[in-house]
Amino acid sequence: MGVLEIRQLYKRFGHHEVLKGLDMDVPEHSIFGFVGQNGAGKTTTMKIILGLLKPDNGSVTVCGEKVEYGGSGTNRHIGYLPDVPEFYGYMDPMEYLKLCGEIAGLTKSQIKSRSEELLELVGLKEHRKKKIGGFSRGMKQRLGIAQALLNEPKLLICDEPTSALDPIGRKEILDILLAAKGKTTIVFSTHILADVEKICDRIAVLHGGKLALCGTLSEIRERHRLHGFILEFGSEKEASCFENAEELKQPSISLSRNGSTVKVFLADGDMDGHFLLDVLSQKHIVPLKFAVMEPTLESLFVEVIR
Amino acid sequence: MTGYLAFLKKEFFEYTKTFKLFIMLMVFAVFGITNPLTAKLLPEILGSLIPDSVVITLPEPTAYDAWTQFFKNATQIGLLVMVILFSSVLSSELSKGTLINLLTKGLSRTAVILSKYTCMVLLWTTSIALCFGLTYGYTVYLFPKDETSNLLFSVFCLWLFGLFLMAALLFSATLTRSSYGCLLVTGIVVVICMILNIIPAVHRYNPISLSTDNMGLIMNSIKASALYSTIVITCLLSLIFVSLSIVVFRKKQI
Repeated sequence: MGVLEIRQLYKRFGHHEVLKGLDMDVPEHSIFGFVGQNGAGKTTTMKIILGLLKPDNGSVTVCGEKVEYGGSGTNRHIGYLPDVPEFYGYMDPMEYLKLCGEIAGLTKSQIKSRSEELLELVGLKEHRKKKIGGFSRGMKQRLGIAQALLNEPKLLICDEPTSALDPIGRKEILDILLAAKGKTTIVFSTHILADVEKICDRIAVLHGGKLALCGTLSEIRERHRLHGFILEFGSEKEASCFENAEELKQPSISLSRNGSTVKVFLADGDMDGHFLLDVLSQKHIVPLKFAVMEPTLESLFVEVIR
Repeated sequence: MTGYLAFLKKEFFEYTKTFKLFIMLMVFAVFGITNPLTAKLLPEILGSLIPDSVVITLPEPTAYDAWTQFFKNATQIGLLVMVILFSSVLSSELSKGTLINLLTKGLSRTAVILSKYTCMVLLWTTSIALCFGLTYGYTVYLFPKDETSNLLFSVFCLWLFGLFLMAALLFSATLTRSSYGCLLVTGIVVVICMILNIIPAVHRYNPISLSTDNMGLIMNSIKASALYSTIVITCLLSLIFVSLSIVVFRKKQI
């Protein structure tokens, strides 16, 4: 059973329909990258999961319990990190975590040990007695993670945790999320594809109010493998000899040559690399390099949102 | 319940740390001290300002003057300061998004409203008690002979009106997103009460009577029993406002 199940979710703001029948399943112990353009509806989806927004239609189930709008029962399973977490500026991190712990119903000793453990994890230990009002954005983001992990949630939802941070801050946040992976399931929205490739094992691309793409990274790569090949030859002569081979003059094959490198795209599903290898052996050419083109996440992303 | 207590503690902490508690207590303490003093000294101040050639006789100040000052200051400036201080009770948390973290920790929205109301009521009670205590002490000291009637009951009425006003304020806060919107709606509620007060038949049931009839009670020109129905109505209206706040806030998209 998945930690999070979303069925046929619809949501509109005025005339703008943001979600149009979104279906999504998040299995346990995965880091789930939730990708989409700005305004695609990532934050809206997350707020519906948290019961902060009311869906027009559809249902959300967290750990087998249905989410009720305006209620907060299912939130005890969830830790949430908003895109820009806001705190009470007059408190220090320890006081804030104490407040959160009391609300979540933890005991005094639990709160104390968990707070210290988490502040250590997010690297705010030496700042634990400083007022949050003076914190930088990165520090607030880290405190946000500590706050979200306080009640040991089964599901951690992070809304663009890295978008506003510098490269070092981003790396730190990603490392913290990776460290939390064993204990919880993480859903993590972003439009920074490099972050997704770094830590996520599953991704879903939200586009046009639905999931345009969903699965594990390797599955998706496999499914969207372009039938493209790169061949590098020892000389330009060999390259042009290969390029002008009679067998390749077919409408379903497109070729492009740049110096001694030739790129081949096969649009016909029946053809594959063997066909090209046959052509090469007929011409008695041995290429320096023969490689299958891997789709990058970026190219996939651009492809699905087009 | 744990959420309610935890959030109530946070509210007190906030009022202390942001000096709102301090401001409230200061304002009401200053009133408490100056009410009887102004009553005592006003004739002398006026006397010293008027040239000797003009002869006017000012009546000797009494305890009634001190209590007139008390009810005027507490109802006009005191309640105004309080409403302004409390106007951002929800809007600041909603616009900044500080509440989101706590709601997603499992804090119920009902607990938010109830603890906010509890905190406002306790602050108002402390402030008015402080102001009353100081005024009472000084009045007894400065005007030892004067007798007043229904004094505690009269202050109770004013206190109850404060409760009503804060329930209206909280309801306004759930309806609007900004603190100005909250002030506006609260203002409209008060103005409606004032306009309705023009109709004599409504006067007995209008919550605002609790803040206008205080001197009448003290001088015994208004019987305490005349306000019983108003008290019942005010309690009911406050309860309705708080309940509506919960209903509206539970449905609010955050």
